[in-house]
Amino acid sequence: MTRGRAKWALALVFGIVLVSLPYWVRDLYQLHLASLIGAYWVLIAGLNLVVGYTGQLSIGHVGLLAVGSYCFAILAGKLGLDPQLSMAICGALGGLVGAVLGLPSLRLPGFYFAMATMAFALIVTELSLAQGDVTGGGTGLSVPGFSAPFDTPWGNYWLILAIGTLITWLTWNVACLMWGRALIAVRDSEVAAASVGVGIFRLKLTVFIFSGVTAGIGGALFASLQSYITPDTFVFEIGLFFFVCIIIGGRGTILGPFIGTVILTALPELVAPLAKFGTFFYGLTLLVVVLLIPEGFGRLVELAVARFSGEPHRSHEVRPDLVRLGAALKEREVAS
Amino acid sequence: MRPLSWMRALSICALAFAAATGAGAQEPIKIGWLSSLTGPLSSAAIAENQGVQFAIDEINNAGGILGRKIELLTRDTAGEPTKAVNLAQQLAFSDKVHFIIGPVNSGESLATGPILARAGMPNIVIGAIDELIDVKKYPLAFRAINTNTQWIEGGIGYGLDVLKRRKVAVIGDTSGYGTSSAKTAGELLEKAGVKPVYTVLIDANKTDLTDEMTKARAAGADVLMPWSAATGLMARLLNTRGSMGWDVPVVGHPALMALPIKALLNKPEYWENVFAAGYTSTTYVDGKLPERTQKLVDQVKPALGGKIDFTFWWVALGYDTVKIIEHAVKTAGSTDPAKFKDVLEKTTDLPGVYATYSWSPTNHNGFPDKNIVVNSANTFKDGSYEAAPR
Amino acid sequence: MLTVIVSGLAIGAVYAAAALAYNVMYSTSKVLSVTTGHLCMLGGVFGAWFIAGLGLPIPVGLAGAIAVGALFGWITEIVGVRRVLARSDEHLWLLSTLALATMIQQAVGLWWGTEPKPFPRLIPQDFSAGLFDQKYWLPILVVILMAAGLELFYRLTLWGKLFQATSEDAFAARARGIPTDRVRSLSYLLSGAVGGLAGFTAGQLTFAFFALGLSLTLNGFIALAVGGLGSNLGALVGGAGLGLLSAFATYLFGGEYQQTIAVGLLMLVLLVRPEGLFGAKRVRPV
Repeated sequence: MTRGRAKWALALVFGIVLVSLPYWVRDLYQLHLASLIGAYWVLIAGLNLVVGYTGQLSIGHVGLLAVGSYCFAILAGKLGLDPQLSMAICGALGGLVGAVLGLPSLRLPGFYFAMATMAFALIVTELSLAQGDVTGGGTGLSVPGFSAPFDTPWGNYWLILAIGTLITWLTWNVACLMWGRALIAVRDSEVAAASVGVGIFRLKLTVFIFSGVTAGIGGALFASLQSYITPDTFVFEIGLFFFVCIIIGGRGTILGPFIGTVILTALPELVAPLAKFGTFFYGLTLLVVVLLIPEGFGRLVELAVARFSGEPHRSHEVRPDLVRLGAALKEREVAS
Repeated sequence: MRPLSWMRALSICALAFAAATGAGAQEPIKIGWLSSLTGPLSSAAIAENQGVQFAIDEINNAGGILGRKIELLTRDTAGEPTKAVNLAQQLAFSDKVHFIIGPVNSGESLATGPILARAGMPNIVIGAIDELIDVKKYPLAFRAINTNTQWIEGGIGYGLDVLKRRKVAVIGDTSGYGTSSAKTAGELLEKAGVKPVYTVLIDANKTDLTDEMTKARAAGADVLMPWSAATGLMARLLNTRGSMGWDVPVVGHPALMALPIKALLNKPEYWENVFAAGYTSTTYVDGKLPERTQKLVDQVKPALGGKIDFTFWWVALGYDTVKIIEHAVKTAGSTDPAKFKDVLEKTTDLPGVYATYSWSPTNHNGFPDKNIVVNSANTFKDGSYEAAPR
Repeated sequence: MLTVIVSGLAIGAVYAAAALAYNVMYSTSKVLSVTTGHLCMLGGVFGAWFIAGLGLPIPVGLAGAIAVGALFGWITEIVGVRRVLARSDEHLWLLSTLALATMIQQAVGLWWGTEPKPFPRLIPQDFSAGLFDQKYWLPILVVILMAAGLELFYRLTLWGKLFQATSEDAFAARARGIPTDRVRSLSYLLSGAVGGLAGFTAGQLTFAFFALGLSLTLNGFIALAVGGLGSNLGALVGGAGLGLLSAFATYLFGGEYQQTIAVGLLMLVLLVRPEGLFGAKRVRPV
């Protein structure tokens, strides 16, 4: 079996495991956790392109999550629109807000941009509290679930799985094709990328809008899982959490941030007594990763695997075949 | 990535996932306790926790309920609704508890209510926001604490009827609780025929309140009604009132009489002419506490280090939530949720330490109006207060 | 009305102090650390702890707060900046300082508590002094003095020149024998001291509160961006402007749109004049 085939086989196994998850998972709580990871992943997959590939350090993406969630709660809950349609509209609104946020901010250098996104997240919380008539203010809004066949916990999970797979496939394609290379070029050296003809601002904006769309959809899914949202739900620490998932998973890969998401979501549940150290722990992990393994855990795994798989050295020394050379020279001498 | 990495990724995911689990259900009666032991409102949660733990120890030492011991599963939600939702699900589905107490914060409770209702889990509610109880939407939720309306009505009653004021300034904070309380206060005042002369929402961390207080004074307010659980904000309000030399009475949320305020005030006299909604169970009458409260105080005091330097009704509330469950299970003869609901709906005048509870099929708020009383804020002694002058 | 102006200037002074701290850090390392606001917070918290908690006399508390600020500024440099600058990856320092800031905030929250705690009275004064209350004029006075002091430092002393040399071209500075690592450490120490002092003097205004850090980082940054990176006068102007704007916005529209208006100001200035009011136009190296 060739390497490519092996990859496909494993992807298939992975897929089967995920699809059949509701059957082998122990109880509804674990199913809820899996659905939550899925909803986060929808947002993080899009954010990965912005942070991991393009290197735009957006720490306030929780604002876009909030926009998506509130939009879904209002459209599907208050106004009673079809939930699936509402979700699509949430995605569109997320993209629009992403454009509005990105247009002025993406031109700014790194730190300025990060601060702008942080300020954005705080503004969204402020507005959701202030506009009480629309958003329910401090009391918040209750969020309906999706309509059949997605209204059971299993149905909801499969919906999230389907959307997550679609988004992952999209980002995978972007990453593997020329676009992905362009993104990485922008991250590593903007000046060089510009000199090769990459339209930097347009690239950044497009990717940012895409991340807005995924955040909007992720927000809708997240809200229906929470079943009730208030401005307190969207604390700044969640934006930090998304960011850390990507960084510790490994920038420039798709699977790395996915592993990061799974680990960081499951970990607080595992170590419930350490709940109060949660955010401190995120900060510590981020610091350790940045100082020691800037490429993230994904890279660590790759390195470990490369060492174990004992793959042949790609490069080999060139040794002159002196005997043959001597014979060839002699022939030449004889011929001339 | 290499195929092997995929397998590693898969195993990591599976491990992380499968490990996040709890034990299955067994003989003891399991009570889940969602408490925000860290984060905002942690002081209330910690005190309530004392009450809950004490009640459980007391019942277990006496042989448990119907011969079964109680097992308490405490989960720290850190005041975050997302965590509260996850942990509620964990308690309901993984740990399979029989009853859940809490969460403490109204914001968290708003999120867990629908989830626990869907899971068919009986829930003793200890958040005050009115929307938490709905007989149709949350049939198994029963409230032990008073409703926000009861607090506000108590305060309004004192301000309008006893102090005979008509020009009210309503002050809330920008949190979930603060905004909805300010709104409710405005509505209840209008129902009483009084329109507030000034309403404002202040960020709980705002350092300087001179603008707002000046505006309130300019609007002609003759009584201030702050409804916020933020002690820092309350302290700053009183300091500003004092440094302005404005002798207007203040009637509002119990946070006005919380002990930490004493340290935050610039001068002790700034705490005078301040009244807060309180409880008959923690009010001294002729120097004495009600019998049941005194009994609990005496029992709990040694465990708390010999002194009580926080509001005692939190402990009493925690204690009562467990006793309510005990009453329901004993009367029903089982932990069946339907029987639980049935028993509590037929319960009237259940004598607790914190209050005397009555529920009905149309009303799941157990706290009676008459157990609300207005206290003078600066009369803290061992967790309880003196009644405000009438 | 006058109270609005005075309280706006007072809180603006704290923002200006954070901007000054940013400037000092930037002057040697071209790094803007997320921990800047936290240095001010630490000054306030530790000042309150030394004086009110441990009962030390006020000058000792003051020195202690400055020392703690300087210490954490130094830690920022060692942990967050030094190793990271050595690599070529441009924005890792943002991540490392963000991580450090989160850790500091959470650790202080766990130790000190999540409620704002009172800051002791520094100079005996009656509380009904109204506008002349020390919580207003102390931060304003101290920050103006600090800005003046920093300007003198840069213009007149040798070490100030060393700072500037290190920031303009680190290689050339090293070639001339300047110990750039030590200069950078010193500048972070200094910015920590600036932050700590500012936090200490503003303690009566802001109370000793652990969550101040992030808000000051953001607002101090807005003051910096508006006033211009690298300019101390700009820091003062930016801070005052932001403080006044916030105060008036709250007075006129209520506290609900405070953050929105502050960021609106930032966006406006950045769109019209990206280098800030007093900043120098930056030339990009190709």
